[in-house]
Amino acid sequence: MSSLHTISKAPSSRLLDQCLPFLGQDDGLLFIEDGVYNCLDQLDLPDIEIFSLKEDMKARGISDRNRAATKTINYLEFVELCCNYDKVVSWF
Amino acid sequence: MANQMQKDENQKILTFVSRTAPYGSNRPQLCLDAALAAAVFGQDVNLVFLGDGVLQLIKDQAPQAISSKPLSSTLETLDLYGIKNIYIDQDSMTKNHLLAEDLLLDGRSAGKEVLSELFDNSAAVFNL
Repeated sequence: MSSLHTISKAPSSRLLDQCLPFLGQDDGLLFIEDGVYNCLDQLDLPDIEIFSLKEDMKARGISDRNRAATKTINYLEFVELCCNYDKVVSWF
Repeated sequence: MANQMQKDENQKILTFVSRTAPYGSNRPQLCLDAALAAAVFGQDVNLVFLGDGVLQLIKDQAPQAISSKPLSSTLETLDLYGIKNIYIDQDSMTKNHLLAEDLLLDGRSAGKEVLSELFDNSAAVFNL
């Protein structure tokens, strides 16, 4: 079973830290809403696919500050991504 | 003249601390509105950006991408309303890898000592 984990709060929420132990090797991680602020820092994450939502990064002025080097996706690709995993686990 | 004296007596140092990211909630807007209202009523206003609050100040935001209103238009009116004492927490900047040149307004880069002195000298501290 693969899951897409979405993180929707800034690093100050420690949401990513709480989610980390539950990331399986077939899982994906997606930063949305204020979660995209996690991309401001280099992240020490397991070797899985990591995405962030382009619109949310653009809105917050951090498109060019993606130290986490996530793959950026638009809303349409977000929908597609949700379908590619067995389920979506929403961390908020 | 008598009026002027009265005004001065009632003038207080009020410090507003904005600690949240720009679009996750309406708190940053509320904090700015409160600070502007205080300034309009002739109070001595300090505005502090702390924690996620510094994220409000990042240049080149394009909130229309997520159908949100830009905060920058309000931030740019601060000077107009006479809010000149703007403090930006240095630790929060460092944590988010931000430099003064990355921000859309000028503020004093401040450490914990400066900020706690500021809080001490304020008649009230509003934390949003």
